[in-house]
Amino acid sequence: MLELRELTKRYGDVTAVDHINVTVRPGVVTGFLGPNGAGKSTTMRMVLGLDRPTSGVALVNGRDYTESQAPIAELGALLDAKAVDKGRSARNHLLALGATVGIGARRVDELLELVGLTEVARKSAGSFSLGMGQRLGIASALLGDPEVVMLDEPVNGLDPDGILWIRTLLKQLAAEGRTVFVSSHLMSEMEVTAEHLVVIGRGRIIADMSMAEFIGRASTNKVRVTSPDAFELRGRLVRDGVTITSDAPDRFVVDGLDAAEIGEVAAAHGVRLHELTRLDASLEEAFMELTRDAVEYHGTTEIHDDRKAA
Amino acid sequence: MSTTITSDSTTSTEVARRDASAAPRMTTGRVMRSEWIKQRTLRTTGLTLAGIFTSLVAFGLIAAQVSTSSTTTNGQGPDFSGSSPVDLVLSGANFTVLIVAVLGVMVGAREFSSGMIRSTVAAVPSRTSVLLGKVTAFVGSLTPVVVVGTLAAFFGGTAILSHAGAASAGWYDAGVARAVLGTIAYLIGLGVIGVSLGMVLRSIAGGVATLIGGLLFVPTLASALLPSSWEAVLKYLPSNAGMSFSSITPSPDLLSAGAGGLVFAGWVALSLVLAAVVFRRRDV
Repeated sequence: MLELRELTKRYGDVTAVDHINVTVRPGVVTGFLGPNGAGKSTTMRMVLGLDRPTSGVALVNGRDYTESQAPIAELGALLDAKAVDKGRSARNHLLALGATVGIGARRVDELLELVGLTEVARKSAGSFSLGMGQRLGIASALLGDPEVVMLDEPVNGLDPDGILWIRTLLKQLAAEGRTVFVSSHLMSEMEVTAEHLVVIGRGRIIADMSMAEFIGRASTNKVRVTSPDAFELRGRLVRDGVTITSDAPDRFVVDGLDAAEIGEVAAAHGVRLHELTRLDASLEEAFMELTRDAVEYHGTTEIHDDRKAA
Repeated sequence: MSTTITSDSTTSTEVARRDASAAPRMTTGRVMRSEWIKQRTLRTTGLTLAGIFTSLVAFGLIAAQVSTSSTTTNGQGPDFSGSSPVDLVLSGANFTVLIVAVLGVMVGAREFSSGMIRSTVAAVPSRTSVLLGKVTAFVGSLTPVVVVGTLAAFFGGTAILSHAGAASAGWYDAGVARAVLGTIAYLIGLGVIGVSLGMVLRSIAGGVATLIGGLLFVPTLASALLPSSWEAVLKYLPSNAGMSFSSITPSPDLLSAGAGGLVFAGWVALSLVLAAVVFRRRDV
């Protein structure tokens, strides 16, 4: 269990994390989402004691992590895969970290095997690719067999095989009853991995709810229609408050009418329907909608345009 | 296991549980061991320690050899006439102190340059333990090298001197053992100051520049520029305090060996306290 209570970090005039209250529960993967600069990493750094909170506390299993009797066995974290000494081999890096709580070579070799680094275990960490470095970081996070696992952007730099592996691993860790708190900017990845979401924007918690609820909240009333008579049907549906967009001659998306209403209109005019699907928002859309005001740096391109072109 | 893994997957997701019989627990000794592993597994540590040993022994023996030949060849080569035989054979320490300083600063600052310090502090959130571990591991690896190197320089150099019939000093002569052990203590203490300074400045280059500048140039420059009334203050500087107990030649400008030892120990302690306070307070 990971509890953040009134956790706050100020750098001069800038409040990076603003009195946040979150309880991350064991047994499910909790995703930690937020735009760049929202305070995700600062929050995680405060949990670990790398940054001192300006006020408030972060409790790992009910205690301040900095007072832990067996730190890496209680909380395993990956914040920055580059936080290794380039001159030291992966195995020696893990041996040194494990030694702090009396974990020896056998466990280190198990972890190297788990993350697939056995063959390069004696090579210097400086020669590792981004993905290999990420795997080493995950090995160090799991080294102490911790009850709480906290990972910042774990899939960063991993190939598709590695991403699938992380996804399965995180779900399994949660299924084993551990608390799994993981941040990612890859919405599609988070959507299939996390069951619970904590969304942060401008240092404040915007949402703390299940994935289903989060997406449901943002879901718009959109319906996709496929019909060989698309042109005619579109004409019948046009009215105030209805927006129709199309990306193919026989297909369009209606915003403002529900599926039943469209079906009735089609039936009334004898228009053939091949598809009538209510569209759920993707996590990405839900996220964009809920964090619109909280994004620190706006791009100039509308992201929805990109998605349609794809 | 309900999870399915693709056959070409290079890694499994089987999270082997740690052996439950030995509950992991952090102790001061284990943190020291961790720091020891870290220092041992960097190639630069071994190379630098070898450099320390070599410079201690080689400079001592060469100085002894050169001084005996200079007496017979009538003034060619460096003039060692003003040096006592003990200071002569321990002259390697003058250069070695620079290498020790570099090693100390490296131990203190290196993790800040690489970012490793974040992994370290995440694993050992007690900052004081991290500092203590680093200093202990550093002293533990440096001490045998400095002890053996200094003793080898003293006995080897003395053997060369006495073989050539030049003036030499015996271990039991007044002040000799104190000067030899003092040299050892000075080198180790200075290394510890280096570790502290490295942790405060978080930069190898900055730490080395500060330590060597403060060590070599400030005392020399100050005694050259300041009026002689300042000597009373200058003798409390770490290098001058160190010289009072590591050299056998008494000097009116220096403290007594005992007082110098205390002052130097004070500098070492002060540097550690400063490093602890700064390291504990700062975000990493």
